[in-house]
Amino acid sequence: MLLEVRDLHVEFRTRDGVAKAVNGVTYGVDAGETLAVLGESGSGKSVTAQAIMGILDMPPGRIAGGEILFQGQDLLKLKEEERRKIRGAGMAMIFQDALSSLNPVLTVGDQLGEMFTVHRGMSRKDARAKAVELMDRVRIPAAKERVRQYPHQFSGGMRQRIMIAMALALEPALIIADEPTTALDVTVQAQVMDLLAELQREYRIGLILITHDLGVVADVADRIAVMYAGRIVESAPVHDIYKAPAHPYTRGLLESIPRLDQKGQELYAIKGLPPNLLHIPPGCPFHPRCPMARDVCRTDVPPLYEVSPTRGSACHFWRECLDDYDG
Amino acid sequence: MPEPPYEHDGAIAGTGFGGAMDLATSEAETLEKTPGGPEGTGPAGKPRSLWSDAWRDLRRNPVFIVSALVILFLVFISLWPSAIASGNPLSCDLAKAQEGSQPGHPFGFDGQGCDVYTRTVYGARKSVTVGVCATVGVALLGSVLGGLAGFFGGVWDSVLSRITDVFFAIPVVLGGLVLLSVVTSNTVWPVIGFMVLLGWPQISRIARGSVITAKQNDYVQAARALGASNSRMLLRHIAPNAVAPVIVVATIALGTYIALEATLSYLGVGLKPPSVSWGIDISAASPYIRNAPHALLWPSGALAVTVLAFIMLGDAVRDALDPKLR
Amino acid sequence: MGRYVVRRLLQMIPVFIGATLLIFLMVNVMGDPIAGLCGDRQCDPATAAQLKKEFGLDKPVWQQYLTYMGNVFTGDFGTAFNGQEVTELMSTAFPVTIRLTVVAIVFEVVIGITLGVITGLRRGRPVDTGVLLVTLVVISVPTFVTGLLLQLLLGVKWGWIRPSVSSDAPLDELILPGLVLASVSLAYVVRLTRTSIAENRRSDYVRTAIAKGLPRRRVVTRHLLRNSLIPVITFIGADVGFLMGGAIVTERIFNIHGVGYQLYQGILRQNTQTVVGFVTVLVLVFLVCNLVVDLLYAVLDPRIRYA
Repeated sequence: MLLEVRDLHVEFRTRDGVAKAVNGVTYGVDAGETLAVLGESGSGKSVTAQAIMGILDMPPGRIAGGEILFQGQDLLKLKEEERRKIRGAGMAMIFQDALSSLNPVLTVGDQLGEMFTVHRGMSRKDARAKAVELMDRVRIPAAKERVRQYPHQFSGGMRQRIMIAMALALEPALIIADEPTTALDVTVQAQVMDLLAELQREYRIGLILITHDLGVVADVADRIAVMYAGRIVESAPVHDIYKAPAHPYTRGLLESIPRLDQKGQELYAIKGLPPNLLHIPPGCPFHPRCPMARDVCRTDVPPLYEVSPTRGSACHFWRECLDDYDG
Repeated sequence: MPEPPYEHDGAIAGTGFGGAMDLATSEAETLEKTPGGPEGTGPAGKPRSLWSDAWRDLRRNPVFIVSALVILFLVFISLWPSAIASGNPLSCDLAKAQEGSQPGHPFGFDGQGCDVYTRTVYGARKSVTVGVCATVGVALLGSVLGGLAGFFGGVWDSVLSRITDVFFAIPVVLGGLVLLSVVTSNTVWPVIGFMVLLGWPQISRIARGSVITAKQNDYVQAARALGASNSRMLLRHIAPNAVAPVIVVATIALGTYIALEATLSYLGVGLKPPSVSWGIDISAASPYIRNAPHALLWPSGALAVTVLAFIMLGDAVRDALDPKLR
Repeated sequence: MGRYVVRRLLQMIPVFIGATLLIFLMVNVMGDPIAGLCGDRQCDPATAAQLKKEFGLDKPVWQQYLTYMGNVFTGDFGTAFNGQEVTELMSTAFPVTIRLTVVAIVFEVVIGITLGVITGLRRGRPVDTGVLLVTLVVISVPTFVTGLLLQLLLGVKWGWIRPSVSSDAPLDELILPGLVLASVSLAYVVRLTRTSIAENRRSDYVRTAIAKGLPRRRVVTRHLLRNSLIPVITFIGADVGFLMGGAIVTERIFNIHGVGYQLYQGILRQNTQTVVGFVTVLVLVFLVCNLVVDLLYAVLDPRIRYA
């Protein structure tokens, strides 16, 4: 395994108490594999990613337990300087909003070239040449001229390509993409996603794709991990999930996608709100919103049951859930 | 001068009276993260009004409580100075000039042999009067002019903007010297009048800005689309939203007006003896600074605490009212 | 950019006229411009009428203003109360005040920004709370009190400096007055820098810089500071104009013979020519500073384009 997260716990101190953002997340990615992490906002998917990258705001954040094994070594045991060297070179991250994630007062060339001057000790001139090369790589037209421009002078799609180029710069083994297309126009979303998938295959990168868009997931992901209230509630190969979800929450997510063959029917929506992380409900955290909830759900936290050797579900009644899915 | 390219917390826009508004708009205490960390909030809390929410926050804020108590005390001694000082601020005994602290006269005597304690207590009245009256005047004039300009826009707005530019271009202390040096009346009114005259542009800019922001709110647009009259929109929809920043800046400005009054009195153009004011006393004590520093320190201390109290109060109110920080 | 400068220069004209006219009216209408001309005695009516005619004071005010401004643009600022040319007063007074302002600005840049960065990076720690408290106190204590107290402590009690500045005002004697003049702005610079740093520290692009594996030092200097200092630098730029106009108090405390001193004398003696002349120049300085600040924005922040 390229990356293994084991029983990770992350908390945030707030003025109203401790918010438990991640509560025992376990997942892994292989080289060349794409893992899609799915969930509503507040489910802990981004916080997990930030913990892996080591860019959590601490304080107020705190890693309360667990391991993050990257190429065999536990990142949480490394010194900050060692972790810094892994960031960018070993693993990189693509953020949602490229406009705010790029420095507004530096040219894109400077920001790309920085990867090479800092991590590889290249001269500024060589780094500039590398930057142009990267921009070509992500198919930004007229890269030679545009390398001198500032982020605001690019379109949204082009900016996200620059973010991808930056992540790709040092050919890292792992890339975490946090909602990379959410902020883009629908028309360019597919282009950017295709580019990312293509480069990922080419360089055999392990990709963690954080998203709430199930449509994107179906095309590019190998596996899916669904998160709810800081836990993995279902983890499975992508086809299994689309065939039949083994958790009522996953099912709710799937049913809330509009479908052509159900035109005229009311769109399904999961009732209720995501849980307050300061007061996560006892038992299964999803039970207040779950149509299948019974007494046991209110008291016992479901473990991740093994549905098949490659599949797990944190629902006491996963079997029922599987059986009566008609999708 | 046109608007700054984009507002950086108004730091550039208004340095009018000692830059009161920079303080009002620049700081931000964002120590707390919302539950759920960077991904955003959990379920939204119950909707509460801005004011009741702010009040709930203020009641718990020690800075607010302390500064409010100081201000209440100041108001009390400006109304009834004799309650805590039995002497007469104008009865002085030259034989005791520059003497230090002694029983019954804890702060000692100044250069004229007046009791520093009594004069410091009585000095509060003029400072508070000037501060309060000037602030009320500035706030009323500034928010009416600025609010109307922001609401109606067009020619009036441009004209008003140019006029505020003119007032901003005149250094405050200098303007005070020129205007007040020819005034012979020894009351607080010329000083207050001067402060209103030069102070209103600061508030008018803020009022204008917040009215323009409020005007663009969706619900105001909706009200307009539904055919609400201008006066109804101004009073019901826009004014309540625009009033918070004005209150914040005005509170902080109050402190700076008090400081300005003292400065003008120090320069000899504000209040003049036999008025009793901290500025006059500080000015009078400065020649004897070597022998009787206490005569300078006590009124200076009182002045500083007063200004500080108003600035901190404004700061606390701003933190409580700024919804960005929630 | 060129068109923007031209537009700004054109906009400056009404402001310039407005501000100088306002001062001109204040001095002429409110005061008695010839009162100072007969020395300390009251002028007798015949001399007064004579003087009024001589200075054109019998004409309407707007005409007086036009004549005056006409003269100013040919470099004639008139005569001061002691018979000296106002321009001559300016040539001795402005260098002194400019030196004083430079000292003040250096304090703002060096101490203000340094403290602001330190506190912005260590929010909530004891250093931060301490510095914030000090800045609040500095802002609350009027400059003249700060000045008098520092003069008392450093000049009189400890004898570190000369309590008053000699007439040619060398730079080393201006260090304390410069600090006093800067004090309130200095406190604002600290707070502004602190807020700006603290705000930008949480920004997405700083997070990106960290995720790129840049060393902390580089994240701070190249990414964080570069952005955070934009509002600070523009504040300091605009402050130049305010400091020059606000130096009256400081110059009075330390007996510095600069612009403020001459203005104060002019006002006391009701000398129109001196007051209006000096104010005209100060207003110009203020307007130019503001223009430079706006242009500085565009240089510092590539997102801003003036059309």
